[in-house]
Amino acid sequence: MKSLLAIVKREFFAYFVSPLAYVILTAFLLINGYVFYLILLALNAPETPRTALMSLFFTNVFYWIFMMLVSSVISMRLLSEERKSGSIESLLTAPVSEATVVFGKFVGGWCFFLFLWLPTVLYPALLARHGRLDWGPVAAGYLGIALVGALFIAAGTFASALTKNQIVAAVIGFVIILAIFLVGIFKDFATDPRLRDALSYLNLIEHMEDFARGIVDTRRLVYVGSTAVFFLFLATRALDANKGR
Amino acid sequence: MLEVQNLSKSFYGTKAVDDITFRVESGEILGFLGPNGAGKTTTMRMITGFLPPTAGAVSLDGVDMAARPLEAKRHLGYLPETLAIYPEMRVAEYVRYRAELCGVPKKEAAARVGEALAKCFVDDVAKKPIGNLSKGYRQRVGLAAALVHRPKVLVMDEPTIGLDPRQIVKVRELIRDLRKDHTILLSTHILPEVELVCDRILIIDRGKIVAQGTPETLRQEMSHQPGLVLALKGEIAEADAAFRQLPGVTHAARIGAGGETRVVLESDRGVDLREAAFREVVARGWTLLEMTPKQASLEDVFVRLVSREADLAAAAEAEARERATTAEIPKIAEDKP
Repeated sequence: MKSLLAIVKREFFAYFVSPLAYVILTAFLLINGYVFYLILLALNAPETPRTALMSLFFTNVFYWIFMMLVSSVISMRLLSEERKSGSIESLLTAPVSEATVVFGKFVGGWCFFLFLWLPTVLYPALLARHGRLDWGPVAAGYLGIALVGALFIAAGTFASALTKNQIVAAVIGFVIILAIFLVGIFKDFATDPRLRDALSYLNLIEHMEDFARGIVDTRRLVYVGSTAVFFLFLATRALDANKGR
Repeated sequence: MLEVQNLSKSFYGTKAVDDITFRVESGEILGFLGPNGAGKTTTMRMITGFLPPTAGAVSLDGVDMAARPLEAKRHLGYLPETLAIYPEMRVAEYVRYRAELCGVPKKEAAARVGEALAKCFVDDVAKKPIGNLSKGYRQRVGLAAALVHRPKVLVMDEPTIGLDPRQIVKVRELIRDLRKDHTILLSTHILPEVELVCDRILIIDRGKIVAQGTPETLRQEMSHQPGLVLALKGEIAEADAAFRQLPGVTHAARIGAGGETRVVLESDRGVDLREAAFREVVARGWTLLEMTPKQASLEDVFVRLVSREADLAAAAEAEARERATTAEIPKIAEDKP
């Protein structure tokens, strides 16, 4: 447990000594600021249907593209960097298991992802000052963000275990994440109602819309949780198989 | 105490390490010697639990690595060959991180880090980022990180590679100093280092142990012809012939130069020529300037061992190839109607 914490801590703080972190942070704030501006415009327009505030965020194409890009970039270095430099040898000869290493790195990356979202709490706070705001759905929305982030970063961690090259890891990670995202989209093309239901279960946009309305559905939690664990398991196996190379 | 039993490792059917067995007692420094590609690093990676062995077992302080890896690794400090340490971390920060990783209790961590830094003479750079340090410093930081949890067994892969001579001396002193608290296994391909630092030597070549023992016994065992080197005053043409008559002398050679004659004598094993040679000199009325036992250097031993193995293997391979081709000829003939 203590060694897990040590790994999480080192992973999290390692982001802040690389320029990449600041590039991501800046781009993230710029784009989210722009999205917030668009939402404000929409909210002020009289023809806007009355809807949950957060769903304006989550049905936004910017949100999804950025989620996918940022997750793959955040997770690309987690394992590939250690293998490229050879420091994985020191790490795995310490009394920690591969699973602990993978999980610690995943949590470190995930914490950085959550850190990115921290400044955006300012937006609902600003809105709350100028009108009534239901904090329940906002909190659920953030929970949804955290969950989807966990899923994407777990997939990215797996990609990072496959190669020593960070760029290759980012590309593989992005492709996997995109595939996870697109599977649910195919719901709209399915004619068989059972298939439609199954795909809808995998649809992340619906998933986020639920959260935006303040609905925390356990099925969504199970889907995200089990898939993330599955990817972390794959990452552990891949690390075990590749470490000596 | 470190125990290695029948350890083997194959990569895609090629044996990199072939049935190695040895043990290192506590308080002992074992030098692991071999040419590049002999399987040193692979063996060390199996000992440290980084690579799983194809066959055989490793135990650190009585704890089996395969059965209880986390506990076994608690007794292990490892300095890998590719000394990759996170360049962005500061020295003390990194050693602290290793302490936490290895389960050093939080209350003791600060003291242990200080102790490890001081022991390895890196306390003066404690606040510097590792990436800004010279290779010698980084090597010692790696060592401090390997020591911080007070492991019983220390494994070091080429600890002095890439250092300048002054740093090499410092690191060697440090390693010798560590002997009292740790069981040490270090690999190297630098021969003088082994003689200076190690209590016992293990030479491996092509994944097999080809010799082991203390530097002295190895030298004795491997010097095929023990013998003497004599220096006599004046140029004496008949010197070699005179010594050749002595019982036990198998070979005598003479080199005369600059008013001096040097005679190299070789004898059978176990024969002490010194007294007979001295009497011969006195009887002939020569002046003896120098008498030294002829000693094979460890380098000779190493080169002889390794090249002999290589020759044998090459010969065996050639033979096998020949047999394969001759075996194929009748087969082809048979196929034809």
